[in-house]
Amino acid sequence: MAKWGMVIDLEKCVGCQACTIACGMENTRLPGEHWQDVIFFQEGTYPNTELKWFPRPCMHCENPSCVAVCPTRATYKTEEGQVLVDWERCIGCKYCMIACPYGVRFYTEEAPRYGGPDLKAVFPAADAHSWSPPWKAPQEDWKHGVGVQPHDVVSKCTFCYHRVSKAPKGTADLDPSNPVMREYTPACVVACSPGARFFGDLSNPNSEVNKQIANKNGVRLLDHLGNRPQVYYLTGVGGAIPNTHTTKA
Amino acid sequence: MIAIREPRDFADVFKYLGALWREEGALRFLRICWNLGREPSAAGAWWKSCLIVGVVAGGYSLYMLFTVGHASFNTSSDGVNWGLAIATYVFFALTSSGLTFIASMPMVFGFRELYPIAKRAIWLAIITLIAGFSVLALELGHPFRMLWAMPTGLQVMSPMFWMGVFYSIDLVLLLIKFYLLWQEDWDSPLSHFVGTASFVAVILASGMLGLVFGSIVMRPMWYGSFTSIYYILTGALCGAAATVVTTYMAYDFDRAKMPPVLREMAEGDHMPKVFATLIGIALVMILTRFWTGLWSNLDGLEGFHALARSPLFYGEVLIGLGLPFLMMLSSRIEHKPGMQMAAAFLVLGAMFINRYEFIVGGQLVPMFKGTWVASLTEYTPSLTEWAMTAFGFAIALGLYALGEKLFNLSATPQSLMVARAGDRRMAH
Repeated sequence: MAKWGMVIDLEKCVGCQACTIACGMENTRLPGEHWQDVIFFQEGTYPNTELKWFPRPCMHCENPSCVAVCPTRATYKTEEGQVLVDWERCIGCKYCMIACPYGVRFYTEEAPRYGGPDLKAVFPAADAHSWSPPWKAPQEDWKHGVGVQPHDVVSKCTFCYHRVSKAPKGTADLDPSNPVMREYTPACVVACSPGARFFGDLSNPNSEVNKQIANKNGVRLLDHLGNRPQVYYLTGVGGAIPNTHTTKA
Repeated sequence: MIAIREPRDFADVFKYLGALWREEGALRFLRICWNLGREPSAAGAWWKSCLIVGVVAGGYSLYMLFTVGHASFNTSSDGVNWGLAIATYVFFALTSSGLTFIASMPMVFGFRELYPIAKRAIWLAIITLIAGFSVLALELGHPFRMLWAMPTGLQVMSPMFWMGVFYSIDLVLLLIKFYLLWQEDWDSPLSHFVGTASFVAVILASGMLGLVFGSIVMRPMWYGSFTSIYYILTGALCGAAATVVTTYMAYDFDRAKMPPVLREMAEGDHMPKVFATLIGIALVMILTRFWTGLWSNLDGLEGFHALARSPLFYGEVLIGLGLPFLMMLSSRIEHKPGMQMAAAFLVLGAMFINRYEFIVGGQLVPMFKGTWVASLTEYTPSLTEWAMTAFGFAIALGLYALGEKLFNLSATPQSLMVARAGDRRMAH
């Protein structure tokens, strides 16, 4: 059984946000509801400051606190390691959002924060969906939190479950440069133009993700909390992960 | 003609209402319900006001929830996920727990002089819990789904699951306990068993509510078993304050109308001292919590600085808790009914602020959200959220008036009255 994981090389990441756009298109996200966000922050104090950025998908933790707190087991971890939400069990209590240290979860029913029109009101749904976008990706699987979600539930990155779960058994690397594997690879990995993202089986010692983690000293965000993310960052010389939740001068 | 009298049991309530409807006709029946009796009364006026507030606030909340949905809240995935509605729920749930502690004093721990407030405390515990659950149901995305998804999910790791279990047990035991007192069963082994079980359930329920927050290591402003103890003890303070306010209200703010046992208690030294002790414990807990929060450099505690800059904090600590603490310690004013009531009102106001501050404050530090990392998130409740809070208060206060009118909430076991009369004869 594979244990899917991701490696993001921050030395290669250029902060273009193509991952955010690709994820939004693939998963039919609302503007602002970025399952895959790129967070910009500033390090140092003026005049010695530097603009940094930091891509942040769901960490699909080995010990996910969101799964433990969910009172209905709507949030669960699959055997292959994805942390998903069953939209038919979610009661919208938002406890998982409270418990997630990485802020990767979104409640459907919220006023738009980006200052634009409320697209849910512009394209209302006649059925149980929370909205009916004029164009949407064909896949829909509410048991695994895939597609346009119903009202009043929590949604999150699925590691593109609808693609990855179809990968041939025993696959070590989902490398978008391999045409055979491309359609099984998460959208953010496919879209990453500088090739900063790697996706593969963490339980396979020969996978590219494991080699990258070993050779380039992969680290995990807020590792001290013990959630043990399955997303690793390669910080190298030029990259950085935020040390704190807030930007302190 | 049927007189307004205390029904004998739950079935009798409906039988009585049916008989009243048949005898009076629909219009007069509705008028009696509206006035809460044939004659105008203070409880009736109270009930009417709550009904109006409840219909307006509840109607507005439901209208907004059906038209706009939960987007009418000012909560957001980027910052404060749980807002005023959850603070209101916690306030009511812990006040209910505190009232159960108060009722347990005579029923479990043998402080027999507190029997005259037991039935009222239990009624209040029931209705504050109902008010809290009502607000929570409006806050949840799918409250009805919860009814099957929680029992079938059985996520025993989740503090929220256990909170639901223990508060449900608590509510059932409170209803049984109220029924037993209604039947004037004060002293049977069953009554004692239910009282003890209810006390255990409410400790577990309020403690588990604390652990809903206290288990979350990612939110250091909440983290730790302290939160459980904090909720249990401040819940007791809320219960004591609610008991003082409602006991005075029940006797028209006039001690002369109180039964001798209660009058002695209100005039004596013990009650103000116990009240002051509970306020003092709350103050120590709040101030030590802020001390560690402001002193530490730990990432995630920055919210304490924002809270300490807020005028609400000073209102809560100085006016809402500090002032009543001094009032209840001063031998000159601690016995005055007006002062006791003012202290209780101030404490209830302070504890409401405290719940809001605790819950919202714990979420001020953002969790890697948004394109730009913010320093601290901002949150102001929306009109819909305020309306839901008003709805909760209307339910609790309206049902209190109904209880005062429908039930003999001042009921006291006959044995206690006889014993007191005997004591007095002996003294003479």
